[in-house]
Amino acid sequence: MRAVLKNAIAVFYPQGFLDGNSAESMLSIDDIKATQNLEADMVLVSLKKIIFFNKNGLEIFVKMLLKVRKVHHAIIGFCDYDLKKFTSIMKFFKEDLSFSLYNTLENASLFASSFKNTKKNVLVFSDNKSQRSMMAIELHNYGHNPIIVQTKKELDVKSKNKKIYDNIIENSHIGSTEDGSIAARVSGNAIIYNLSSFLDASITNSFNIYYHNNSLKAGFRLFIFEAHDVASMNVHAVNFFSKLASSAAEYNATICFISLSTKKINKKFHETLEDSGIIFFEQLETLLEDKKLLSELGASTSSNIKDKKVLNKAIVTQLPNFIEATVETIQMMTNSEAKKESASIYTIKIQETTNKLASSIGFYGDIDGMVILIFPKNIAKKACELLIGEDTDDDELIMDSLGEFVNIIGGKIKTLLSDADINIKITLPRTYSDVSELLTVANNRKGVQVDLTFNHDKFSFFLTR
Amino acid sequence: MINKKIINNYINQIPPSPKVLKETIRLLNIGELMKAATIAKTDLALTAYLKNLVNRAVYGFKNEVNDISQIFGILGVSGSQQAVYNYLLTLLSPDKWILFKLNSNSFSELQAELSAKYNLILEHLKIVDKDIQSTITLLPASIIVAEALFKHKEEEVLLLKSVKDIDYNTILKRLCGVDLFDICGIIAKKWEMPNKISQIIQASSGIKPSKDEEINKIAKWIHLLLFYELSKPMFIEANLNDFIGFQVDYVEDIYEDFLNITKVDN
Repeated sequence: MRAVLKNAIAVFYPQGFLDGNSAESMLSIDDIKATQNLEADMVLVSLKKIIFFNKNGLEIFVKMLLKVRKVHHAIIGFCDYDLKKFTSIMKFFKEDLSFSLYNTLENASLFASSFKNTKKNVLVFSDNKSQRSMMAIELHNYGHNPIIVQTKKELDVKSKNKKIYDNIIENSHIGSTEDGSIAARVSGNAIIYNLSSFLDASITNSFNIYYHNNSLKAGFRLFIFEAHDVASMNVHAVNFFSKLASSAAEYNATICFISLSTKKINKKFHETLEDSGIIFFEQLETLLEDKKLLSELGASTSSNIKDKKVLNKAIVTQLPNFIEATVETIQMMTNSEAKKESASIYTIKIQETTNKLASSIGFYGDIDGMVILIFPKNIAKKACELLIGEDTDDDELIMDSLGEFVNIIGGKIKTLLSDADINIKITLPRTYSDVSELLTVANNRKGVQVDLTFNHDKFSFFLTR
Repeated sequence: MINKKIINNYINQIPPSPKVLKETIRLLNIGELMKAATIAKTDLALTAYLKNLVNRAVYGFKNEVNDISQIFGILGVSGSQQAVYNYLLTLLSPDKWILFKLNSNSFSELQAELSAKYNLILEHLKIVDKDIQSTITLLPASIIVAEALFKHKEEEVLLLKSVKDIDYNTILKRLCGVDLFDICGIIAKKWEMPNKISQIIQASSGIKPSKDEEINKIAKWIHLLLFYELSKPMFIEANLNDFIGFQVDYVEDIYEDFLNITKVDN
């Protein structure tokens, strides 16, 4: 069984009856490794489709979750259950509740600092006073507005007024967590890294520089380091971030720090970071809610890339795999036939930019580069229909699903290349509702462009470095 | 991925039910057990299937039963009819399973387990109805249909599943407007199975509850029974556990009774 990954939260959905035997059959060593490789911020097991479970069944999943946490320090736990299931879990694990419990997946996401979920009014209740406080602190840290109630009676009264509260958390538990990871997530078109504890020379090991560089290549221009939980940093960490800012400047990208005042680091270090172009903000919300400011910082506009590598033989020989992965996935998701129109090696050329959506996804490893896909809105909508479950004109929903869809294409490329003994990792996809913005990113980059039609709708594939 | 043309091609390839089986079922329908056994004996594959089925541990016979008349006698009219329908389904099952890690033996095991537990359920519900008793035989057809339609699309489905909790039935419904259970209904019609069987199977998907309360009641039990069986290690390892979505809410009110009947240990 594999986990479903969305917004840096990986979720397992077992179903039916969960006992020691069945749970063991659901999880193989490969499944655990695959989950570790997802590098998710949160790994959960949804009990939504479980009608029966016993302690042995849950323990198998807990062992898996602990193995994942050991490698990636992710928040781990169970979600989507009712009071009866919650009571059973608390009874089974009362001595050693080292994982978290969230009554719904939506509530769990509040603790994963996802941008889309910030500023929620959350009604919180737990029998356990320290749990109530912990939840409130965590929610507050993630930018929400927790309202604590002391008794179940009070909860029942207040929860009747559904309009006031976005979320109601009860029957939940915050388990012990581990910190020290530098997890990345996409918020709009900015990448947010979460920092914690004391930052020193070990930052060079815990920060995935390949991922960061490839995100730059994929067109991301704003990188936000959330440092609310950072105690301080030494000169080695300061040097590291200064260098990171210099290399980002080559791409006209911006690096920002949140909650890293001179109270946390000495004034001289603060100035060094400022001199290298890093911008400081007090609150993440101040930045994310100010669309104009975001735009100025580069989260919605893109600029030319100075580091223009040329295509090499290693990539070009794999072009059929890239095309096959893209075409097969689109055919699968849209039930349409692909027809190749033309192929050329030059800079990207898009005749008509209206009514089109685009996405770019970077890859790195044995070979590195970037795939750019330009979809007619029709094709994007059709492909996303399968994921959304209905026909929709909600642009935000379509863009969100387009990211998931391009992730599937990236996954397929990875599999096909792996069959050819080429191992790559892929970045998170970046989506563009305005194709001209993408063209700025890809400006003057040479690459292979393959134009295709899917049921007469023109689609362009562009492979570059 | 899958389109209506592929589904139509698949449906067109389903053979009509063989004459011997039709006649055997007709005779069983009118209660002529011995005459039905005489006809059934002329189909060697059916004979072998019935012997194999009835001698499984789940039936609990101490001595090996070999004679078809004896088998029909033991199973009774509705049990025999159920067994013949089960055989009919095996005619549709692939020689080599690709998507689901099954073989003819494990598929028969699933059929036998479902049939035996279903009979316990009907006993508990005090339902005596030949058509209702035979309903369980068509359920594994949904697995065969999923295997046939998705066998070369495993990788694509896995990628799709990596971003969304989605099952084969939902994929098919969203792509083509029909689901695995609709196709089972078409198979049932082609094989002239009673209409009631098809209706119950449709409802047992858990996503299209029937307006007929009696049909709905049976369908709930079937849905839960299916997931009870598909939660066994053998079928989880065969990748069957998540081929359709389990609808917990649909079966919530019967699950305490179900645990008692199937004697699940806490």
